[in-house]
Amino acid sequence: MSDLFVALTPANLLACFVGTVLGTIVGVLPGLGPAGAMALVLPLTIKLGPTAGLIMLAGIYYGAMYGGSTTSILVNVPGEAASVVTTIDGYRLARKGRAGAALAIAAIASFVAGTFSVVALQVAAPLVARAALAFGPAEYFALGLLGLVLLANLTGRSRAKSLAMVLLGVMLATVGMDPLGGAVRFTFDLAGAQAGLSFVAVTTGLFGVAEVLASMTEPEAASAVARVKFRELYPSREELRRSVPPMLRGTVLGFLVGLMPGPAATIASFVSYGVEKKVSKHRAELGSGAIEGVAGPEAANNAAAGGGMIPLLSLGLPFTPSTAVLLSGMLLMSVTPGPFLLRDHPRVFWGVIGSFYVGNVMLLLLNLPLVGLFARIATIPPRYLMPAVLVLCAVAAYSDNNNIFDVWVMVAAGIAGWAMRALDFSPAPLVLGLVLGPMLERSLLQALTIARGDIGGLWASWPAAGMLVAAALASVAPAVSALVRRMSRRAV
Amino acid sequence: MRRWLACIAALVVLCAAAPTSAFPDKPLELTVLFGAGSAADLLARKLAELAGRDLGQPVAVVNRTGAGGALGYTYVKGQPADGHALVWNSNSVSTAYHAGNMKFDYTAFAGVAALTSEPVSLAVKTDAPWKDVRELLAHAKAHPGAVRVGNSGRGSFTHLVAVALENRAGVKLTHVPFGRELAVTTVLGDKIEASVQLPAEIMAQVTGRQVRVLAVSGEKRLASLPDVPTLKEAGIDLTMTLWRGIALPKGTPAAAIARLERAFTQAANSAEFRDFASRMGAVVDMRGAKEFDEFIARDDREIAALMEQIGLRKQ
Repeated sequence: MSDLFVALTPANLLACFVGTVLGTIVGVLPGLGPAGAMALVLPLTIKLGPTAGLIMLAGIYYGAMYGGSTTSILVNVPGEAASVVTTIDGYRLARKGRAGAALAIAAIASFVAGTFSVVALQVAAPLVARAALAFGPAEYFALGLLGLVLLANLTGRSRAKSLAMVLLGVMLATVGMDPLGGAVRFTFDLAGAQAGLSFVAVTTGLFGVAEVLASMTEPEAASAVARVKFRELYPSREELRRSVPPMLRGTVLGFLVGLMPGPAATIASFVSYGVEKKVSKHRAELGSGAIEGVAGPEAANNAAAGGGMIPLLSLGLPFTPSTAVLLSGMLLMSVTPGPFLLRDHPRVFWGVIGSFYVGNVMLLLLNLPLVGLFARIATIPPRYLMPAVLVLCAVAAYSDNNNIFDVWVMVAAGIAGWAMRALDFSPAPLVLGLVLGPMLERSLLQALTIARGDIGGLWASWPAAGMLVAAALASVAPAVSALVRRMSRRAV
Repeated sequence: MRRWLACIAALVVLCAAAPTSAFPDKPLELTVLFGAGSAADLLARKLAELAGRDLGQPVAVVNRTGAGGALGYTYVKGQPADGHALVWNSNSVSTAYHAGNMKFDYTAFAGVAALTSEPVSLAVKTDAPWKDVRELLAHAKAHPGAVRVGNSGRGSFTHLVAVALENRAGVKLTHVPFGRELAVTTVLGDKIEASVQLPAEIMAQVTGRQVRVLAVSGEKRLASLPDVPTLKEAGIDLTMTLWRGIALPKGTPAAAIARLERAFTQAANSAEFRDFASRMGAVVDMRGAKEFDEFIARDDREIAALMEQIGLRKQ
């Protein structure tokens, strides 16, 4: 335990600082993901030795979750897959002149969630890790289905429109190689489409490019943001107070979702937004620029990053591309994660855990002063800002997989996003379908293969059966409640 | 004006000197077909760093993933055959072609050198009743289809090794395709009986004594798993390894290939790389340019036959 203070030696503090700064940059720049950045600096970190090297790698990993919200809030371009949801209310807040407040709340939410998840990691890791193993393909299928049903109506306008968007997302997710390998689908002989539609390209198009197109069609006066005084850059007491409950809910939810494989941080942010939409006192404002829509999801994606460390550290299982790089780094430094990590390498283990606390404080101190600088970006007149945003989007789409086809996907998604806006369709449910679709398909196929073709295998375990029942109830609930309402009205 | 003239003169001299200057005269690009941080990616990055030092030009690693490698192969094939666009290739050139993901096969490329190979490891949970590979296969023989084996994707190399194992041992297995690292997770969760994976993907669970590796499919035992027998030692006549090497578009001048072959084989031979590779569960296993092409041709026929058997061969 005293090894926690290993993190405070000058060399380790420096490693932590460099890691978190790099992570922030990776988060701010759309397209460049934490896994790619970590792989790039891996050779350097090996030379630093296990403790400092892993502290730096981990710094990039959780630092990226801090910066991810910046471009989401300022220019409607998600900086990281996990910050797609943040665009919904974050960008609206920026348009109202509250960019500074949204950025600051995002940083504070990230700090709260990051710190909580380290505490949870320290206290409950082995216990929770066992629970993560109890989930197999059948359980993930049930969970994915439940998520789709509960979150479909995320933005809460027309249920039919949202459902159509979710289904479109699931359909688009089937383009390219199927998630288990073997078959290539719906590519129309376009070589570039074989890898599927890039998630980064679709989201930067739907949100960023669509915003650029929209700003071109409206008069400049309408799209200009009011200038704000410096004092008003930071959140008001009211905004801070309103952010506390969503932050706490987002933290707990994000941490739990972080234990599962796949794009956990992205799903966590959707779940948090969905929960706020249901339980928040200000739920009616969500979608039109409510601070809860930033505080909850930003806490959730950071907590998910912390939760994702548990399967890695206690079982040696990397569930995300980023933790896979972290695992490679550990193996190359002859530090094997798993049940014996603490026994064999106590200094490394506690040093890295200690650096999480230090790193989160560093990130908060780093990000809060940047708020003032970044918030000014929102006040740049659209005729200068929007061309730059378009370039940023194209770079992001290309750099995701160095594939020019993805840039065309982004352009098409941008036009589609602009049309959807004109017809009052929200792009968020589409993104949800895009995220959950492959997970559903993959786990369904695996569960059926494991059960040797017996469909009963899907509900053979209690958790799976419970979630399927819940999904069924949730999908008929709106119809039933509407019917009851009509009946009671007639009775009166 | 005089400064301009000096600049133009310098340019003329540079251009005139260019054809005689030694290859490579600009940075090289090594396309990796799998994601950043994967075993394939890390091996390629290490080699690129070492070979770049020898070549006097940086070798930039760029990940072009998707469609089982087909996307990256298509990109490199379309590049000028001047020796500057390389691909970190593997058996995936055969699996991607026969699965119908690309219209050309390995003959579109010229081999520079095969550098590493990785066996596939067959593992069960530590508390599973089967102590060695024969016991597991005996169980599979008595109960056809009862042994469920997780692999890293339909038509992937690990899947093909499991199919070849079925053939040699005369048993029936149930193959469950997984993406990245989830096969071993599912073994640990008692949902399936065994997994076939590259050693790098399972090393953490081996050290943590959560799984027991029953056999590896290589010619020799792995230095990092000294107690695990090869399939051959266990009495099953099967040797299959995933080779990786450097290739470039066909038509590249022989001089460039020879220069690259020297740089990359030296890099792979270094103590630094050998040590690095062994931690990633790979071994340095070299073949020169000429031998490499014949080797790929032989390997391609084996892969085609196995893919035919599981119904995934399209061409």
